[in-house]
Amino acid sequence: MMNFRHGLKRLLGLLSVVGVAILFAGCSNSAAHKTVHITYWHVNAETQGGASVNKLVKEFNQTHKNIKVTAKYNPNMYQGLMQNLQSAQASGKVPDIVQVGWAFTNYFSDNFKYMTPTTAAQKFDKSKSTVTNNFSTQSLSFAKNAKGKLVGLPYSLSTPILFTNDTMLAKYGIQKSSLRTWEGVQAAAKTIKQKSGNYGVYIQEPADTWAQQAMMLSNGAQIKDSAGKAAFASSQGVKAYQLYQDMVTKDKTAIHTPWAQGMDDFTNGKVAMAFTTVAQASHIKQSVSFKASSQIAPTFKGNKLTVPVGGSMLALTSQDSTKQKAAWTFEKWLYKNDSLLTWDKGTGYLPPTKTALDSPQFKKYLAANPMIKPATDELANAVPWTSFPKNGLDAEQDMIDARDKILTGANVAQTLKAAQEKINAQQ
Amino acid sequence: MLNNNSQIEEEINSRSGPRESRKPRGRLLPFLYLLPSALLLFVFMIVPIGYTFYLSFFNWNLIAPTKEFVGLQNYINVFTDPTNQKVILNTLVYIILLVALNFILPYFISLIVNFFIGKMKGPYKILFFIPSLFSLVVGAMLFSWILNPVSGPLALFLRDFGLKVPQWTNSGAMAIVVICLITNWKVFGYNFILLLTGLGAVPKNILDAAALDGIPKWRVIWNIVLPLNKGVAIYVLILTIVEGLQYVFTPINVITQGGPYYGSSNLLYHTYLNAFVLYKTGNASALATVTFVIFLILLFVEIKFVEGRKQNAD
Repeated sequence: MMNFRHGLKRLLGLLSVVGVAILFAGCSNSAAHKTVHITYWHVNAETQGGASVNKLVKEFNQTHKNIKVTAKYNPNMYQGLMQNLQSAQASGKVPDIVQVGWAFTNYFSDNFKYMTPTTAAQKFDKSKSTVTNNFSTQSLSFAKNAKGKLVGLPYSLSTPILFTNDTMLAKYGIQKSSLRTWEGVQAAAKTIKQKSGNYGVYIQEPADTWAQQAMMLSNGAQIKDSAGKAAFASSQGVKAYQLYQDMVTKDKTAIHTPWAQGMDDFTNGKVAMAFTTVAQASHIKQSVSFKASSQIAPTFKGNKLTVPVGGSMLALTSQDSTKQKAAWTFEKWLYKNDSLLTWDKGTGYLPPTKTALDSPQFKKYLAANPMIKPATDELANAVPWTSFPKNGLDAEQDMIDARDKILTGANVAQTLKAAQEKINAQQ
Repeated sequence: MLNNNSQIEEEINSRSGPRESRKPRGRLLPFLYLLPSALLLFVFMIVPIGYTFYLSFFNWNLIAPTKEFVGLQNYINVFTDPTNQKVILNTLVYIILLVALNFILPYFISLIVNFFIGKMKGPYKILFFIPSLFSLVVGAMLFSWILNPVSGPLALFLRDFGLKVPQWTNSGAMAIVVICLITNWKVFGYNFILLLTGLGAVPKNILDAAALDGIPKWRVIWNIVLPLNKGVAIYVLILTIVEGLQYVFTPINVITQGGPYYGSSNLLYHTYLNAFVLYKTGNASALATVTFVIFLILLFVEIKFVEGRKQNAD
C-alpha cells in the first residue's frame, strides 16, 4: 500500500512538473514575439491551386514582418471546411480568415460569428468603401445573405461553360454556332449519336445542382422568388428539365453519371460536349488528345443567358481585435491585382475585382488560355447561387434528389413540384 | 528435476507469503493497469455513445445555441420516412452481399487451399493479401475508372466482343453490387488468411484418423472441420458485417454519394449525410443509435457462440 501511494505521489508530482513546464513554455512563446499569428483556411488541394495559396502566404509573410499567416488546407471542399469550422467553433479556437462557398452563405451567416468587410473597413481603414469600391455591385451581390447583408468579399468566381470536342463536331458536320441554344445542343447530340454511337453531351452532376440551375435560369425560370420561396417548378423550369430528361432517357444522347466519370468520358473522346464549370479548363487542356474548345453556356430559344456564379468568398472569423486587424490586412493584400492573378492562374477561377479583370496581365493570360474566355464573358449575366434562407442545405439535397429521380425517368412536373413544396414547407 | 521443482515451489510459496499481507495492492493493480485503456474507452467510446443517444431526442444543427426537444420523433422518422426505409433495406442487401462475397467465398477458397491444394499455399496467401494493403479510396477510384461504362478499359475491351458495361451508377442495385465488389477486393485477403489459419488449427490427428477410416473429404469438412472452426468463422462473419458496412462507406462517398436517389446508401452513410452534410444531428443520432442496437445484437450473437463455446470447452 505504501509503495502504491508513493508511486501515485511520484506520478502526480511528475504530472504537475510537466504541466507547469507546458504552461511556462506557452508564456515565453507569446511574450518573446510581438508577431500576430493568424490562420487562413482554404479548400485548395495541391492540384487545385494549393501551390498558389502557399506562394501567396509565403510572399505575404516575407513582406509583413509583424504578421504571420499559416494556411490550412481543408479536404472535401467548402462542405469539409464548414464541418471543420463547426468543430473549431465548438472548441472555441476559430481560424481568422476562411473561404466560404456560395451555397453556404446563409448557413454561415446564421450560425457563425464573423466581421463583415464593411465593419472591418470602417474600423481599421476609417473608411467605408476602400475595398468594396473595387468590386462591381453585381459581384458584391454574390456575397450577400438573405437579409441583404454583405457577409464577405467575393474571392473565387466561376461560371458554367460548354466545352466541345471540336474534332468530333467537325467530323459529323456540326456547326458550333448551333450550340448557342439547348435545342441546338439536343439536335447536335442526336446527330452524333446516330452517326457515331457516341454520347452527345454530359452535364455535370456533383453533389449540387449548380449546372441544372443554370439550365433552368436560362429558360427564364426562377429558382427562388423575391419572397425567398422556391419557385423552380414553373413551366419554364419544367421545360428545361424536360429537355434534359429527354436527352438522357428518351434520345439516350446525354449521359447520366457521376462527375468524375462524366469528365473522363469527355476527355477520352466518348462524349462530344461537356457542360461544366470553367474550373475544369486546365484539366481538360492537359488531358485531351483532340482539339477542345469552349463557348458560352447555351440558353433556351428566345431566353436571356443567366448563370449562377460558383466559387467562394473570404470571410473574417477572428474574434480578437488585433487578429481581426491582421486578418483584414492579409485579406486586402490578397485582393491586390498581382495576388489575385497568381491566385486565378493557379486555380482557373475568374478575378472578382474590376481592376484585375481589366488588367493587361489578365488579358494576356486569357489570350494564352482561350478556353477560359467565355466564362469571363458570362460574368455580366451571372446571378448569385441560390442559397435558401432557412434549411438551405436540406434544400440543396432536395434538389439533388429531384435531379436523381428525374434522370431515372420520374415525371418532371410532379417531381419538381414535390421538391419545391418540400423546400417551401421548411422556409 | 524433482528437486528443482520443489525448490521452485518453495520459492513461489515464499513469494506469495508476503503478497498475502499486501492484498489491497494486488487487488488494485489490475485496475490500475486497465485504467489507461479504460479511460480512453470511456472518453472516446462511452461518452460519445451516451451523447449520441442524448442528441437523438433533439433537433439541432451542431452549433445553434438551443436544442429543440422532440421526444421520440427522430426515432419515428427512422422507421416511417420512405428514404430511411429504403436505406435500411439497402443495408440488409449490403449485409447479404457482404456475407456472400467476404465470408462464404473466402471460406470456400480457404477450404480448397487447405485441403485440396498441396503446393503454392504461401504465394496464394500473399497474392490474396496484397489488396488489403491499399487504401479503399485508391480502390474506389481505380474501380470507378476501370468500370466506367462509357470510356473505361473494361468497356473498351468488351466492346470488341459486342458487349456493353451497364450504366451501373444509375441503378441502386448495380451500384451496391459494384461497391460490394470493391470492398471484396480489399477485405477478401484478410478474411481468407484468418479463416485459413483457423483451418490450420484443426487437430491433424483427427483428420488423419478420418482419412484412415476412408471417410470422404466433404464429410470430413462438413462434420469435423466446420464445427471445430466455428469460433473463427463466426468471428469473421461478425467482422464481415460490422466492418463491411463501415468499409463500404468509402466507395459510396467517393463514387455515388449514396445515389441514385439513395439507391446505394446504407445506414452508416446516411447517418454521415444527415450529421455532416445536412447537419441534422437529431436524425443522424437516431439512425446511429438504431445501427448501434443492430450491432449490439450481432455482438451478443458473437459472444454467445464464440465465447460461449470456449467456456463449454473449458
